[in-house]
Order: sequence, then C-alpha cells, then structure tokens
Amino acid sequence: MHKQITYTGMIWLLAAQLVVMLPFVFDLPVWLIPVLLFAAGWRLRVLSGAALQPGNVTKALLIVLGIGGLVLSGLKFPSLDAMATLLLLGFAFKSLEVAQRRDALVVIFIGYFLVALHFLYAQSITAALYGMVSMIVLTGALIGVQQSVAEFSAGQQVRFNLRLSVFMLLQCLPLMLVIFVFAPRLPPLWSLPMPTGQAKMGVSDRMAPGDIEKLSQSDALAFRVTFKGRKPAQHELYWRGMVFNHFDGREWRQFERDIDPQQVQSALLTNYRWQPDALRVQGEPIAYEAVYEKTGQPWLFTLTPAVEVEGDVLRGADYRVMARQDLQAPFLLKAVSYPYSQRDLELAPELRQLALHLPETGDARTRDLAQRLWRETGTEQAYLDRVLARFRDQRFEYTLKPPTLSASDTIDAFLFESQRGFCAHYAGSFVFLMRAAGIPARVVVGYQGGEWNAAGDYLAIHQYDAHAWAEVWLAGQGWVRVDPTTMVAPSRTEQGLEAAMQAEGSFLADSMFSVRKIVWLNGIRQQLDTVQYGWRRWVLGYDGAEQAALLKSLLGTFSVQGVALLMGGLLAAIGLLWLVLLGMTPRREREALEHQLYRRFCAALAKRGVLREPGDAPGVFAAQAAEALPAVAGVIREFTQVYEGICYVPSADGRQATRRLKALLGKLR
Amino acid sequence: MVEALRGHWESWVQQRLPASRVTTLTQRKIFIVPSKTAVGLLVLIALLFLLGINFQNSLVYIICFWLLSLLLLTIFYTWRNLAGLTITALGVEPCFAGEKAVLEMELTRPAHQPKYALELAWEGEDQVQVNLVTAQTLRVKLSHSTTGRGYFKPPRLRVATHFPTGLAVAWSYVTVDVRGVVYPAPIEKAFQPSGNAQRENVEDGREIAGGSNDFGGIRDYQQGDGSKRIHWAKYAQTGKLYTKTFVDYASHALWLEWDELPMPGIEVRLSHLCRKVLEFHQEQREYGLRIPGILIEPGKGEAHKARCLQALALFGVQDA
Repeated sequence: MHKQITYTGMIWLLAAQLVVMLPFVFDLPVWLIPVLLFAAGWRLRVLSGAALQPGNVTKALLIVLGIGGLVLSGLKFPSLDAMATLLLLGFAFKSLEVAQRRDALVVIFIGYFLVALHFLYAQSITAALYGMVSMIVLTGALIGVQQSVAEFSAGQQVRFNLRLSVFMLLQCLPLMLVIFVFAPRLPPLWSLPMPTGQAKMGVSDRMAPGDIEKLSQSDALAFRVTFKGRKPAQHELYWRGMVFNHFDGREWRQFERDIDPQQVQSALLTNYRWQPDALRVQGEPIAYEAVYEKTGQPWLFTLTPAVEVEGDVLRGADYRVMARQDLQAPFLLKAVSYPYSQRDLELAPELRQLALHLPETGDARTRDLAQRLWRETGTEQAYLDRVLARFRDQRFEYTLKPPTLSASDTIDAFLFESQRGFCAHYAGSFVFLMRAAGIPARVVVGYQGGEWNAAGDYLAIHQYDAHAWAEVWLAGQGWVRVDPTTMVAPSRTEQGLEAAMQAEGSFLADSMFSVRKIVWLNGIRQQLDTVQYGWRRWVLGYDGAEQAALLKSLLGTFSVQGVALLMGGLLAAIGLLWLVLLGMTPRREREALEHQLYRRFCAALAKRGVLREPGDAPGVFAAQAAEALPAVAGVIREFTQVYEGICYVPSADGRQATRRLKALLGKLR
Repeated sequence: MVEALRGHWESWVQQRLPASRVTTLTQRKIFIVPSKTAVGLLVLIALLFLLGINFQNSLVYIICFWLLSLLLLTIFYTWRNLAGLTITALGVEPCFAGEKAVLEMELTRPAHQPKYALELAWEGEDQVQVNLVTAQTLRVKLSHSTTGRGYFKPPRLRVATHFPTGLAVAWSYVTVDVRGVVYPAPIEKAFQPSGNAQRENVEDGREIAGGSNDFGGIRDYQQGDGSKRIHWAKYAQTGKLYTKTFVDYASHALWLEWDELPMPGIEVRLSHLCRKVLEFHQEQREYGLRIPGILIEPGKGEAHKARCLQALALFGVQDA
C-alpha cells in the first residue's frame, strides 16, 4: 500500500536514533554522534526539499570516511567494541537513505538490538531505565512509520504514538516477566569477545607497591554478602581472593611466570587442584551468598576455607575460588566456610617449594636481619612473634600516602628507611622475612571487613576494603593467617579503613564530595544501595541455578508437568488480562439509548413492511414510511422528530425525550 | 492439486463469509497472522537470545522477551482494530464497459473504538487507507475496472489493517451483495443508417417533399411524372393533366431499431445503439428503442436514457 514514510514518521525515526546512540558515547568513540547529527540534518533537509538525496559517490565517500575513523580510533579487531562501533556507524548512515518503510524498519530493529547491546556495557538501574525510554521511543517510531494517513496534527500525533507505545510496552510487562522467569537459561554456546571499553576493576593479579593504595581511593562496590545465620565479627572478615607466591624483588605475582587467568584456570584443573583431603573441617560454619559486581576478571572472594560452594567455579589448592569466566555480569555465589578448620597439616613438596621461593639476590639487609632474628629465636613461632613485634614496636606508620620506593631492594628500603606503608608493604615484607628464615609463607590479597547495611541486612564490600595479608605454614597447625598490618594499625581490621585513616584524613581524599562524609545523606545512600543490591541479586543475577531454586520453591518438586501447568496457567491469565484491557470480551451493548430505540423503531416498521435502506436519513425514511402507513403517520413523524432532536440538538432534555420515544414506540407496536 | 485446494478454500471462504449488504466484522470473520515484519523481528529476537546466552546478560534477555511479548500483544491490538467494523454497501454507480465501476460503501465503527489505518483493497485494483477516529461513519468509494457489459458484481473485498506496529496483519474478506450495471462501451462514431438517408434533417413533424405515403396535394403535370401519379379524376373534370404529390412526415419520435442496423455482431450493434442513445440524449431528442424482446417507447431525459442503456447492457444477460 503506501510505503512512504510521513514527515512525522521520519522525525520519530531520527529521535529514536539519537536516543539509542547517546549512551554509547561513554564507551565508544564520541565522533559517532556528530556523524548521526550530520546524517539526520541532511535527511531533514531532503524531506523539506532543501537538499538532494545523497548520491552513490557521496555515500561511498561517507562510508570510507567512517571506516577510516573506525580504524583511527584505535579499536582492536575483532572485538565487541569494534563491532558495536561499526553497527552504530551503519545505524547513523542508514538514516541518509531512509525513504521506504522497509528502511525504517531496518533502522528500528537495529535500534532494538543496540539497546540490548548497550547492556553489555552498563547494567545499572539507571542504564535499565534509560533502556526503557529507548524502547518506548523506538516502539513509538515503529507505530509512527505505519501511519501513512495523518489523522491528527503533528503534535497530537506524537502524543498519540507515545501514549500507545507506553501502554503497549506496559501491557507486555507481565508476559515478559513470566518468560524471563521461566525461559531456559543455557550456558554460553561459544565465547565472544568481551567489551574492552571499561577498564578491569578491583584487585589485580599482581601486587606492586602502590596498587592497593589506589584501590583504597575508590568507593566503588566490590561485592555484597548476605549471611544465613551467624554473622561473623568484623575482624573475621578476611575475603580471600588470590595468593601471591612469587616475588621478583619488586612485584608479587601468583606464579613464577606471568600467566593469564586462562592459564591459572588450567593450572587449577591440573596440578594445582583443590584437595579436599588436605582440609580438616572444624568449628562453626558460616553460610553466605555473595553477589560480585562485574569486574572483567574471574577472581572471587570468599572466607577461608570455603568448604561447600554452589555455582560454576573452580577451586585451587591454595583455597582460592575462581569463576570460570571473566565477570561480565554480576555473579552469584553461595558458599559455606569453616574458618576454624586446619589446612594442609601435611604440606605438599611443590607447595612448600613455592612458599619458600625468593629471588637469588637483592634486599641483603633484610636477609641479614632474618638470619639474625632466626638465630636469636630458634623456633618458628618465636621468630614470627619477633617479626610482628618489630612492626609494632619500631616507628612503622600505616599510611595511604607512602613515599615512592627505589626500583630495587624495595623491601630494604621499606623496612629500614621509609617505614611508612600500606598493607601491601607490610604483607610483602613479612612474607619475605619468613621465607628468608626458611618458613613457608605467602601473600594473600582480597578484601577485609565491609560495611553493614542495616536496611538490607547485608554486608557491602567496597574497593577501599581491598587488603593484603600473609599466611605462614607452621608444623602442627598448617596454614595460619597473619596480618602484619594489625600490628601497626589495629583499627584497620576492627573498624575498617575509614577509622584507621582518621588521623591522616586521607580516606577517600580524592573524592572530595563523597556522600559518605555527610551523615544524613549516608542513610539515603544505604537505602539506595539496598535497592541496587536487590537489582543485582534478583534481576542481573537471575541465572539457571536461581531459576531452578525458584521453581523448586514454587512447585515443591521440579517436574516438567508442573512447570508446563504453571506456565500454561500464567500465560492464559495474561491472555485474558489483555482481552479485558483491550475491551474485547463480550459485554453489554454500549450503544446510546436513543439509537437503540431508533433501531427498535425501524424493526417495528419493518414488521409492517417498510424497510429502511441503510443510506436513508431518518427524515427521508419517515416521509416514505408515513406515506406507506397513513394510519400511524403521525407517530412516525413525531418519533423521528424527537429522535433527530436528541441526535442533533444535544442541549435538549435527553431523559424526557427518550421517555417520549418509548411511549411512541409503544403506540407503534 | 493446487486448483482443488483453491476451490476448497474458495467455497470455505464463501460459506464462512457469505455475501451480504451489511457486514459486521465479528470474531469469526477476522483472520490474523504475523506479518513479514514480524518474521524480521523474530530473527532479531533469536539474535538477542543468543547474545543473552553468550554474555549471560539478564537485561539482554529482558529486551529479547519484551519484544517477544510485544509481538504477541500486537496480535490482539491489530485484531481489535478490525473487530466490530461494519461495512455497508450503498451501491455501484453504472458505468460503461472498460471504465471503472465505483462501489460506494459506508464504514461504521462501534462507539468508543476508533479504528486506524484501515486498508480496503481489491487485488490488483483500487485500494484505499482510511481512519475512523473522529467520525463514527465514513463513506468510501472504491473503483474496479470492468471488461464487458452486463452486471458488475464487486469481487471479494479485502479489508485489512497493520495497525499499530505492522507486526501483525488482520484481514477479512467482504463480499457485498450489490451489483452494478455496466453499459456497452459506446462505439467511437455512430453509423448513419442508409435506410434513413433520404430523410432530411428536419424539425420534428415537418413535411418531406417527394414522399410516397401521404397525399399532399396536386400540381401541374410536368414531363416525366409517372402515369400512376396522374390525377385522373381532375383530368376528367378539367381536361388538364395534374400530378398528385405525396409527402412523408418525419416521425415525431426517432426509433433506434435493432433490425435496421446493417452490421453483424451483437456487441457491435449494442455499442452502436449505445452511442446513438448518448447522441440523442445530448441533442435532447425524443427517441425509442426497439431491440429483440424489448420495446421502449420514445421518451427523453436522464431516467429514459438510463432505462435504454440498461436494456442495452442487459441484452441477452441471463441473470436478470
């Protein structure tokens, strides 16, 4: 039929394009927006007759320019960013040649795809709400391009389409939720390049002086934990992430070679596998659920040792828990930990070797110190106590602004010169001292503590809770956690970083206007965070495992028939709801009373043999009928007169008039 | 096979959607299927589902399922946009063969149910899109080409809508129970019958000299007058030769006679008579029509013309 798009339809389309492209500016090259604006401007000029449709040469030129820009913007190929940018570019240029409804549909469908694509970059509530707005505008455009005959003025048309779009999308919500809850969740079919637009967040897989201090300046959320039953005390909350065994004189790393998470994963599957037999479970369990923010890394953080874990994870011989994929979405883990268990009473030779490794040279003064102290003490426990006492008693300072250390002999520089440092300095130098004396030891990084959210009854762990501590292996005890930082700043583990930094005033010093510092706003912030947690936990974290758990709680036992019955019932209910909402269920005649009476009047006359042609006006018909039926001519004329009176003179007293009609109708019968 | 299926379908449609003067599109009469656009959207939904699976992204799933719901809801919306519509055939204006026959219809919607972007179409013929928003009733004219004279029965009319999203198409077939008359196509130039050649183009009722029917008077004998015309009685009285003269009166009314037409072929003759009717009508003359089986007394005016043309149109048509 009419395949051209109206002017209003075109405006809709351009508006939708702009709305869809806008949020990508934060992740992708900014020059895409001027490209779209240019294309949109040209299109509008074409529509208003001020410019010509771009020719093939112009189009080719623009595409070459676009691809050139794509190459120059330094995106990696192939990557999701590059693909998204290419798609956006095509999306922007497509508006140049939109003339037919087909083209418009292509634009709108790509728009829908881009709305979804943006959720790979941002998944906050705000992003979701913005996505909803985009959906409304796109659906409005979809409705707009279908209209080829304008019924209203342009302004009314926009309002009409918008309202219809909102209504339709709202009415879709119940069904969408049902599908969301019940649709099967499959594991990834193949791996896709992840967005690189955002930098990886959180604890990194190596520790150089300064790394954790930087994290401490961030109040971004790392993860949230809900405890079932006993809530551990603050000083028990050591969230184990990675274990660093290798030291090269400056940096601590997981393994001797720099290996990527994939290699760590394969190591955890082979010779570095979790050995349940090495663990002697003791004490009270702590059961909890943690929802990790997306970090782009596979590291998870648990209380040591996590004995039971639910979820698609790997565990290592060093009691770490690691996700199989980088976290591109919030990740839910359920675990039970037994913190008073004994670990590795027998230490495997290769683990011992790892835990004793030191660089061949460097840090001579520290090595001398270790030899001297070891000679003085003689036992492992006594040596350990001496080292800790040294941290406590000498002029060591806990600070977020440690002086820069020299490139080599960093341990010496810290222990004997600056004596000012952060947890990484203390943990690193402590482990060095242990190893130098022949005691197996290793650095553990993760988070310590967390902030209780009373409103949501959960613990929120932020990036500034990042921490590093040490583990030493003692005969008869296995691995023992030692946190040398507590020797210098006891409040760090009791009250958190904020308390520990009170004197220095450096807590979140970079974020001057942090809400955290304003007491009354802090309450609101916690409430908002509770909402965010619900969002993370129930919307973003809804996966196959959650689905199974929910179905189990809904149906008692999981059965195919049960699910089918539940689905069928819900779908039927929604279908019925739609029918009612759209007024398509049979219901009482809504015709005005006078029209009903007139129809009865015509029926009565038809019985007497006078049929009204559909096109006949009441007056014309009355004249014919009166002629055919002289006996009731007066009644016919009066009835018609009163009826026309109601129809054409709305101010007439309707109720009295209809009463009169009824009386006249009675006479006719 | 295909033919058999088509025949089956036709009879089914006819049974389900019988011809009627007034048709209200109720639930049973409306067909609805997802449109081609919906197929495109389904592909998109499948892509989004894959994206959701591979990135394990709940919000991508949400968009995917939202669009799926929209597709389903659209079916309800589109269906409602057509349901309750009443189509009343008002009639078909007569036309000449080869011209467009115009069907006039009245569309009526139920109160409080605006209808948008309704498409009325004859396949391969005229189509129109209308809204029923402010008006509850609307008259629509739709034209269809004709080939031969006779009755024009409007073919099945497709009433459809894609509103609001174009993701579904709801349609119904309406067979209106009215028929129009298609007059024969008038021939380009009317044939002048040779039998009437000696008639002069004169005012109605004037004498035409040199006739042979009626006695007009006598005149002096002239050389060459036939002996039959000599007024012998007068000669007896006066001894002088007089010749009787006769006149023809031009007929008060003109007759269009089937039998006078020299050309063969029914359709050609009808086209010819059609042209003559139009000519005489334009010249405001009184004329009668005599074709086998039908005699229309002379007359003039629009109604008379229509009567004559209708007679020509339906000549030999069985279904009267």
